[in-house]
Amino acid sequence: MPLILKTTRFVETQIDLFLDVVSDAAILFQLAMDDYLKERNDQFEERLAKIREKENKADELRVGIERYLYERTLIPENRGDVLAILENTDEVIDNIKDALLQFSIEMPVIPEGLDDLWMQTTSASVAAVEQLVFAVRSFFRDIAAVNNYIHKVYFFEREADHLGEKLRRLIFAQDIELSHKSQLRWFAIHIEKISDYAQAVCDRLSIYTIKRQL
Amino acid sequence: MIFIYLLSGLFLGWSLGANDTGNIFGAAVETRMLKFKKAALIAAIFITLGAMIEGSGPSKTLGRLGSVDALGGAFTVALAAALAITVMIRIRIPVSTSQTIVGAIIGWNFFSGRLTDFRSLLTIAGSWVTAFVLSAVIAGLLFLIFRSYLSKSKLHLLELDVYTRYGLILIGAFAAYSLGANNIANVVGVFVPVSPFKDLSIADLFVFDGIAQLYFVGSLAIVLGIYTYSWKVMRTVGKDLFHLSPVTALIALLAEAIVLFVFSSRGLYNFLLALGLPTIPLVPVSSSQVIVGAVVGIAIVKGGKNIRYNVLGRISLAWIVAPLMAFFFAFIALFIIQNVFEQEVNKDLAYRFDDKTVPLLIARNMDKSALGTVNGRTFQSERQVFHELDRTGAFTRDEIIRIIAIVEEYPMLVNTRLLREKGFVKRFAPEQLKAIETLDGQRFAHRWELAERLQDSSSWQRIEAAKNEIQKSRNNRINAQLDILYRTFFVK
Repeated sequence: MPLILKTTRFVETQIDLFLDVVSDAAILFQLAMDDYLKERNDQFEERLAKIREKENKADELRVGIERYLYERTLIPENRGDVLAILENTDEVIDNIKDALLQFSIEMPVIPEGLDDLWMQTTSASVAAVEQLVFAVRSFFRDIAAVNNYIHKVYFFEREADHLGEKLRRLIFAQDIELSHKSQLRWFAIHIEKISDYAQAVCDRLSIYTIKRQL
Repeated sequence: MIFIYLLSGLFLGWSLGANDTGNIFGAAVETRMLKFKKAALIAAIFITLGAMIEGSGPSKTLGRLGSVDALGGAFTVALAAALAITVMIRIRIPVSTSQTIVGAIIGWNFFSGRLTDFRSLLTIAGSWVTAFVLSAVIAGLLFLIFRSYLSKSKLHLLELDVYTRYGLILIGAFAAYSLGANNIANVVGVFVPVSPFKDLSIADLFVFDGIAQLYFVGSLAIVLGIYTYSWKVMRTVGKDLFHLSPVTALIALLAEAIVLFVFSSRGLYNFLLALGLPTIPLVPVSSSQVIVGAVVGIAIVKGGKNIRYNVLGRISLAWIVAPLMAFFFAFIALFIIQNVFEQEVNKDLAYRFDDKTVPLLIARNMDKSALGTVNGRTFQSERQVFHELDRTGAFTRDEIIRIIAIVEEYPMLVNTRLLREKGFVKRFAPEQLKAIETLDGQRFAHRWELAERLQDSSSWQRIEAAKNEIQKSRNNRINAQLDILYRTFFVK
């Protein structure tokens, strides 16, 4: 039996590694945001570099998994769904990297009064991504638990939206230049968008879960 | 000539391969768990193995077509059945090959004036319901068990995929093996007594006997059917009727294998018999009806929303139409073969009420005065006898069938050498063979005469009023052995 499952176990490990990378990237994003707000710029750049590595790694893993699934004609019925899940989850990492890269390029000045709400929005978005990782893992192993995690992703996405709106209102209530306000607004939206991507993956995941149920 | 006759058997083999492989691998191929080429290769290997290993075994009957007593008739019946099956495959509907063949045989019965056993017709109609309902119930139960197990086991999607794939291959191979073992007799069984193939000795190490060669040719025809046409029916089973997932495809196939094994396995029957346990009745179940039943069973447990009832209706209708079509094809073809090509399609038997048979009938409590109306007369067909006796109103249908068995003239010359030449000796116990040898060179005018003479040996004695399954089984075996003797020793 182990011989028969050799390829399968290898692909399973690759999928788990891919999800680990997504989860790591989300946590790194939160840490990098904290570094940025506390002006630990060198550490921020280190985190960004790590996220870039994670993004490349995720791409490599995804392509490898896709190739295995097609070459060995594994899971013919669910192959398309699995690939869509992996590709969409990969976009979450891309989004995380893009957001941080933008910080690194533009170096927006964040007024001190925004720090707390800024971190809360970031945490909600990151929590949505972490729950997404749980949901995707469950899709492969424990189909009954998927909806539970999907529910949590939706919760954190709504929370990120809610906090993001508060953050934008607070930005425009600040006594700063309009151009500065506009710049900060786009950064706030970038953070919110991470949870939006997680939610988009979940929308598909819930349909694939129905399909997978016996 | 025999090779031309053999062609219709091969055509039947081809249609069987095309029809029945769809029942086994249709769901697996349509869910893309197995590629068509791989499924066809597995089916080809295991059908051939089944045909060669078990199909040529010593205790198997020669198949349903054996009841047709002339080669021309067998050719036509096989041709008619194959044509009917092919028509059904063209419209992508899996039908029961055995039932279609029976339809064609009834066509032969009508044409040649033989009586049809209506009870066997009822059994066939009954099996449509039994096989369908049984497999639906079993598949439904299996589905619930699988669902509950899979939700608890937390098996990885990829591992589940691997297990399902191997399950489909293993059960499919097993089903293909049974298909070959059970159906090769339908395809070429009737040609066994006239096999044109001679024993082949390969470097004095291995003898490829004539019958095995015939079975091999038959299985090649089945394999050809698989490769050229079986994809037609696969879609109906795997997709058109109800969209199956790989796991539900496995459940359907498992249900099919269980139903076919439990209700048609003589091995299981004998095993239970040997243990003194109550046996499960052997019902003639068809793989087509079983797989469709299984798919419907799963669909019902899943809520019954996505079953395509129009496809199901079409399939059910085809199960009635296919035997009827075979019946008409056979009837028309027999007429043409007999009158245009002047081939013998049935043995011309006579039914004589003379001083030998009438006293025997009276001794068996048949109405003496009613027999007076036929005494001294000879009839040319079973149906004439039936009408004549039925008019008297003194006999039931069963009694008339028993009377026919006694008055039928079936000239035979006992010749043990023929049994050896045709490779039938393996089917008899040494004491039975000894008893036959003592009759060598003797002539018999009726089948019952030979049977009675053989009863002198205890090895040929049937148990009167058999009570238990062991006794019934012994009687059935002796009847099948007698049947081989009748056909082998028949002389014109």
